[in-house]
Amino acid sequence: MKRFTLFLVAVATMVGVVSLIAAARGHTDGEPAPTFVTEIPQGYRDWKWVSSAHEAGKLNSLGAVLGNDVAIRAYREGKLPFPDGTIIAALHYRNVASAENNKVFGQAQSFVPGPQTNIQFMVKDSKKYAATGGWGFAHFADGKPGDAAFMKSCFPCHAKTKATDLVFTRYAP
Amino acid sequence: MKRISFLFLLVAIAAAVGAVAYTSHAFGQGAGEAAPVFGIKIPRGYRDWKLISVAHEAGDLNDFRAVLGNDVAIKAFRDGKLPLPDGTIIARLAWSYVPSEENNKVFGREQSFIAGSPTNVQFMVKDSIKYASTGGWGFAQFKNGKPDADAATLKKCFPCHEPVKARDFVFTQYAP
Repeated sequence: MKRFTLFLVAVATMVGVVSLIAAARGHTDGEPAPTFVTEIPQGYRDWKWVSSAHEAGKLNSLGAVLGNDVAIRAYREGKLPFPDGTIIAALHYRNVASAENNKVFGQAQSFVPGPQTNIQFMVKDSKKYAATGGWGFAHFADGKPGDAAFMKSCFPCHAKTKATDLVFTRYAP
Repeated sequence: MKRISFLFLLVAIAAAVGAVAYTSHAFGQGAGEAAPVFGIKIPRGYRDWKLISVAHEAGDLNDFRAVLGNDVAIKAFRDGKLPLPDGTIIARLAWSYVPSEENNKVFGREQSFIAGSPTNVQFMVKDSIKYASTGGWGFAQFKNGKPDADAATLKKCFPCHEPVKARDFVFTQYAP
């Protein structure tokens, strides 16, 4: 009887450890490695804020960059390269003028996020994504991942910022 | 017997310390100098709060903003709960709005603007009793960890927020 209890405890512990690892990786499941990230990391909207950016021109976007705990820690400690387990999220919205704010300010000056355009992720796993600098890239518009041709364009562009481990966004204190 | 009463005393002290810590945590009052009028100190750990939204103010301000909320704030925003409950704290962080040469080089055109150096941090603290005369909100502004707006300036906050009474005097809306 006692032995069986011990067995149960051991199994429960194993399950716990495995799910902990899965949770730490921030993935919804343990599917085998695609070239690109095809699952939206869980709980990303609760992550801490890294910085913001506005892309003018065709993109005309207002973005917020968030990081999971591994990412935030590395950013704050200035640790490069980013360790495995890092996930960086870029939330993109249409950059729209706020008529309401402008009325209060008495001039046209205020821009706020409009409709969400896409969410992008960079997931660090130096083994799984060795061919692309250790980063897996993800892009979701309306919950759907970007196609292969589009996803291939991520790495060459990010490779231009090698000095900061392929990450453009700096931490805003 | 003596030992039991000593134990009781210890538990009572621990409970009291816990209650005080909880209260100050709930109201988010950190260390440092309090800002005038509403007596607000920089809330502890605000840089770790979750994101409500971002904004860019052009013109004289020319800044980039991130609006963060403590757990009470985030829950209320996500639930669409109005008025925002007591204990809500909203933090508005601002940076100068600067072009990114590095990004522009990669994009091959002038298009990218990022957060430069921090300008100031503002807070709205909800306490419907303490701040009853200003819609239940206390206002504060800090720069480099020190109060950065005099009483006259802070008294201008509420009148400006009044046009958004329908959203409990808060301009920022939650970005999904």
